[in-house]
Amino acid sequence: MVSLIRYVRNIRRTGIRQWWHQMQYIGDAKAGNHVGTDQFGNRYFENLNPDDELPGRHRWVDFAQHYNNATQVPAEWHSWLSHIRQLPPTEDKVMQNLSPPWKAPWTENLTGTRGAYKPYNTVVPKINAWEPKVASRGEANP
Amino acid sequence: MSFARPRLALGLTPKLLVASRSTALRSSLIAHRNISSSRCSHAEITDRPGRLEDPITVKSPPLGAGSLTAKDEPDKDIDPYRDGPGAIDKAVHLFFFTEIIRGMWIVLENFFRPPYTIMYPYEKGPLSPRFRGEHALRRYPSGEERCIACKLCEAICPAQAITIESEARQDGSRKTTKYDIDMTKCIYCGFCQEACPVDAIVETQNQEFSTETREELLYNKEKLLANGDRAEAEIAANLHSDHVYR
Repeated sequence: MVSLIRYVRNIRRTGIRQWWHQMQYIGDAKAGNHVGTDQFGNRYFENLNPDDELPGRHRWVDFAQHYNNATQVPAEWHSWLSHIRQLPPTEDKVMQNLSPPWKAPWTENLTGTRGAYKPYNTVVPKINAWEPKVASRGEANP
Repeated sequence: MSFARPRLALGLTPKLLVASRSTALRSSLIAHRNISSSRCSHAEITDRPGRLEDPITVKSPPLGAGSLTAKDEPDKDIDPYRDGPGAIDKAVHLFFFTEIIRGMWIVLENFFRPPYTIMYPYEKGPLSPRFRGEHALRRYPSGEERCIACKLCEAICPAQAITIESEARQDGSRKTTKYDIDMTKCIYCGFCQEACPVDAIVETQNQEFSTETREELLYNKEKLLANGDRAEAEIAANLHSDHVYR
C-alpha cells in the first residue's frame, strides 16, 4: 500500500496539472525540490526523502521539449543527473571554476537531421590524380 | 496479511496461528521455507563420524537363506510421507484454492510496492567519474589544444582505432593535422587517456552518441575538439575529483 499512498501524496503536492504533465512523460507522480533550470529550460528536481523516492530515482529531469532525449541535457547537468557530482552546477564551485571562457554551446545528438556530423579528411590527400601538363615546344610555325 | 506465506507442510491449524501478526513469527516462517534451511526427512545422515572412512558393511545373507528381504534388516524402511501433510490437509488446500490465493496475494503485494524501474532518460543510474564514453580532445585553459602528436595513444590502442598525422606549426610547436578515431573499432578500454602525457585525449561521460549511419562514427579531429569544447567543464571536474588517486 506504500506505493498508492505515495502516489496520492505526490499528486496532492504537485497539483493535478503537474501530475498530468508528469504522466505524459515520466509516467509517475513525483514531487521534489526544484534544483535548477538549464539554458534550454529543462527543469531538474531532487527528492532525497527515502519515503518518497527510492535511492537511484531521487534525481530527475523534466524536459522542455516534447520530443525529448537524453542528449538534451547539457554536460554540467548530465554529471549531476548521473550522480557523478553531488552538487548541481549552480552550486558546484569546482565545476564553475573549471568552466573555460571558450566553452562551446551544447548541442544535442543531431544524428538523422541536417545538422548531423559528416566525417571529412583534415589533411591534404596523399594520392592525387595525374594532371597532364603540356610542355611548350617553342614557337609554332604559322 | 494472514495469507502471507503460511506454513504449508503443517496444514490448517498453524495458519490460524499466523494470523497473530507477529513479525518474528512471520520471519521464522519465511526462513522455514528456504531451501537451505529446510530439512529432508529421508536423506542419509551425513554427519555420522567416520562415514567416509568406514563404509557401511554390506550384510549378505547366510548361505542357503535365499535372498535378502526387508525382514532381514529391520528399522531401515523409509516412509517418505511420515512427516508430510495428510490427505485431508492436501484436500483442503486443493478445494479452497489456497495456493492460487497465495500466488494472487504475492501479486497484490508487489502491485503496491514502490517501483524500482529507473525511468530513462528522465532519471539515470549512477555513473563513475572514470566512466569511459565518447572521446574528446581537450584544450588548455588558454584555448591552445593540448595534443602534441606524440602518438602514444595510437601506439597503445589495442583496436588500432586511432590514426594520427602531424606537422610542425609556424611557431615551431608540433600539432596534429589528422586525429581520427574510428568509433566502430574502439573498444573503450581507456588506454589512450592513460597513455596521454598531457591529458589531451579523454573519454567523456557521454554515452548517448548513437548515430543513424556508420559514417558518423568515424570521428576526425574537429569533431573530437568540438566534443571537448562543449563538455570541458564536466571533463575537468571529473579529473579534479580523481586527481588525488592518480
